[in-house]
Amino acid sequence: MSKIPNAFKNGKAFIGFLTAGDPSKEKTIEYILAMAEAGCDLVEIGIPFSDPGAEGVIIQEANIKALKNKITTDDVFDIVKEVRKQTDIPLVFLTYINPVLFYGYGKFFSKCKEYGVDGIITPDVPFEEKEEISGVAKNNNIDVISLIAPTTNERIQKIASDASGFIYLVSSLGVTGVRSEITTDLGTIIKEIKKVTDVPTAVGFGISTPEQASEIAKVSDGVIVGSAIVKIIADYGENAKKPIMDYVKSMKEACNN
Amino acid sequence: MTKIKICGLKREEDINIVNKFKPDYIGFVFAKSPRKIDFNKALKLKSLLNNDILSVGIFVDEKIDKIIEGFSKGIFEIVQLHGEENNQYIKKLKNESFEKNKKNLKIIKAIEIKDNFDLEEFQDIDYYLLDSGKGSGKIFNWNLIQNINKPFFLAGGLNENNIKEAIFKIKPFAVDISSGVETNGFKDENKIKNIIGDVKLANGRYGKYGGRYISETLMNEIIHLEEEYEFFKNDPEFKKELNTLLNEYAGRPSLLYYAERMSKDLGGAKIYFKREDLNHTGSHKINNVLVQGLLAKKMGKTRLIAETGAGQHGVATATVAAFFGMECEIYMGEEDIKRQVLNVYRMELLGAKVNTVTTGTKTLKDAVNETFREWVGRFDDTHYIVGSTVGPHPFPMIVRDAQSVISKEAKTQILEKEGRLPKAIIACVGGGSNAIGSFYNFLEDEEVELIGCEGAGKGVDTPDNAATMTNGRIGILHGMKSIFIQSNHGQIAPVYSISAGLDYPGIGPEHAYLNDIDRTKYVPITDDEAVEAFEYLSRIEGIIPAIESAHAIAYAKKIAHKFDKEDNIIVCLSGRGDKDVSDIAKFRGVDLNE
Repeated sequence: MSKIPNAFKNGKAFIGFLTAGDPSKEKTIEYILAMAEAGCDLVEIGIPFSDPGAEGVIIQEANIKALKNKITTDDVFDIVKEVRKQTDIPLVFLTYINPVLFYGYGKFFSKCKEYGVDGIITPDVPFEEKEEISGVAKNNNIDVISLIAPTTNERIQKIASDASGFIYLVSSLGVTGVRSEITTDLGTIIKEIKKVTDVPTAVGFGISTPEQASEIAKVSDGVIVGSAIVKIIADYGENAKKPIMDYVKSMKEACNN
Repeated sequence: MTKIKICGLKREEDINIVNKFKPDYIGFVFAKSPRKIDFNKALKLKSLLNNDILSVGIFVDEKIDKIIEGFSKGIFEIVQLHGEENNQYIKKLKNESFEKNKKNLKIIKAIEIKDNFDLEEFQDIDYYLLDSGKGSGKIFNWNLIQNINKPFFLAGGLNENNIKEAIFKIKPFAVDISSGVETNGFKDENKIKNIIGDVKLANGRYGKYGGRYISETLMNEIIHLEEEYEFFKNDPEFKKELNTLLNEYAGRPSLLYYAERMSKDLGGAKIYFKREDLNHTGSHKINNVLVQGLLAKKMGKTRLIAETGAGQHGVATATVAAFFGMECEIYMGEEDIKRQVLNVYRMELLGAKVNTVTTGTKTLKDAVNETFREWVGRFDDTHYIVGSTVGPHPFPMIVRDAQSVISKEAKTQILEKEGRLPKAIIACVGGGSNAIGSFYNFLEDEEVELIGCEGAGKGVDTPDNAATMTNGRIGILHGMKSIFIQSNHGQIAPVYSISAGLDYPGIGPEHAYLNDIDRTKYVPITDDEAVEAFEYLSRIEGIIPAIESAHAIAYAKKIAHKFDKEDNIIVCLSGRGDKDVSDIAKFRGVDLNE
């Protein structure tokens, strides 16, 4: 059974992201566990890719570092295996589709099931191409997380009614990265989503401060933060555990203020 | 994605055809019809059918036991009911077939659409099939379809002429075709091939390649672009404006030039050059940017962005931006900027801003990434002119249509000059736009060999090459499923060619498909061979070709002697070589900048 619903049982969810293998395989394991301990409700683990088209510079840099460390898809599964020995926190992969295609869809999703990965986010597979992986993911009980953007408009209900796990609502146009301001009318989009599904909606892209988290949690079921955490890892390298924990605590608290 | 069913198969030849072109479903008719067959025949046909194709049994008010017998024998996985079967009948069929086989029999219920049509609800079915009558082969009024609460097959009079419109307008779960792919009452291989191609293309597919693998944020913009393009490409006003631009501004039609000295020197076929190098801006790229620039203008965009490798597409984009009075930004890899100083200055002269891309390999691939990143943040006023037959659908189609002017002209010209078709067409391939343009109108002439020449850099066995077809495998990047050069674990590999325009790790999805069905072939040409051809053509014909085009010339040199003197071959001279002069000098150990 997918553990994703657990992420939304403890007030508004805080979802954190990091890139596997940045700064090292061992540190990724340590940082995921630290995030879980600090109150993170779900962790997105990024599988590094040479051409991360949806990412801004911060996460691009993390991908380059991880690939320099020669992190492979099997290494990422190893990370999950170690993490699973110590925590039941819901885990989803964030990956571009090519490394998964290369690995083999059947093998990839059966490993997800075996190692306890609950879902997958593929930013380059929109709803219309979902058949690429939806069948094999379903057979292995892995949720394929649907993305909805500020521009989705008349396709919102079609996408939402087919969603499982949670819905990833992209806050703004553009690529990932810290933003000073989010201007999209998220409330209206979420209302549209709620008309057709009970699957929770979490908002990501550009969120970094507790003030933003608090604001967005008021209209959504959760907040997703990537670049801000990856930036802490870039700044503190091997010694990022404490700053990550402090940050996650403050964000989780802000989500439920 | 709309699926396709070919209905009414009755011969082993029919099965051979569908096994080759792979529709999603086929149908066996067990009701009164010219296409009726019995269970024995169907069992034999099913045993020959490819496992990826599901079969559907078609019945009219049949006894439930009889249907279950066919299902149990494995003749079909799905049943299609065309009679007066009611909810009670359907429930019974569903339950009893499950009890007997422990497998779910999927049910399609056919509905006749009439003017006063009121959808009767069937609870236990999986799909509707909407038809104008019991396989009458006539079109019904598609506007009558509304609020259907289950996926449906669209049937009735579908053929090559209306299938794309049907998918575009109605977006059915599947289309069902029978008489539309027959000639004299029998299934016709060519019609089946064409209609499956059309259905896939309506889905943005070339066989298994293509598609639109892009972020959700861009999806509606891409769908909108396709709608606008489908409208304007048939709009007389748009076509007229475009023609004027191509003829009066770009200098079309381009010459088909007989390279007599070269032909005699090589002692084989007569070699003709399609002189795209003589177009305004010096390459075939202008054909595409005029189409997309004009389209962008019609869509109300005021800003154009583009990636560039060699700088030819960047120059062409900057040119139309200047011409239409639009803002323009070009993304170019740091490595390519070093190689193509002249083109960078040219773009700036035309009023474009050139952005240096410093991520990844700092070449064309990363320039594409950066342009997409820019576009996803700003598309209300901005159109991304993709420069080759790559990217998400509809770009490979738009660029191919735009470049197909090359082969359209070339075909007329060669028939005028020689009275016969060429033995071969040769073009260089990076993303593949001049190649697909050169091939397109000859695809139907199976006797014409179509050859793409890839940048093999320092050799296909070295790490320094860009020979995608030779060394690549299936992958997904830049919005498309195609063939890409990849390192272990599915990372896109760094590639290399002396030619910045061929220095790309992928190839357009239509090329990948044409290669799969053996209609085209792709050969690697090394830096050494290309440079040698560059120098050869300069001396023998007084034409300095682009280093990209020199790859095609190198292959022509290799094979010309294999043909008779009466034969002819066409080489696409896709661009002129001024931009490459300093690089070639450097390759020969001369530094012009010192």
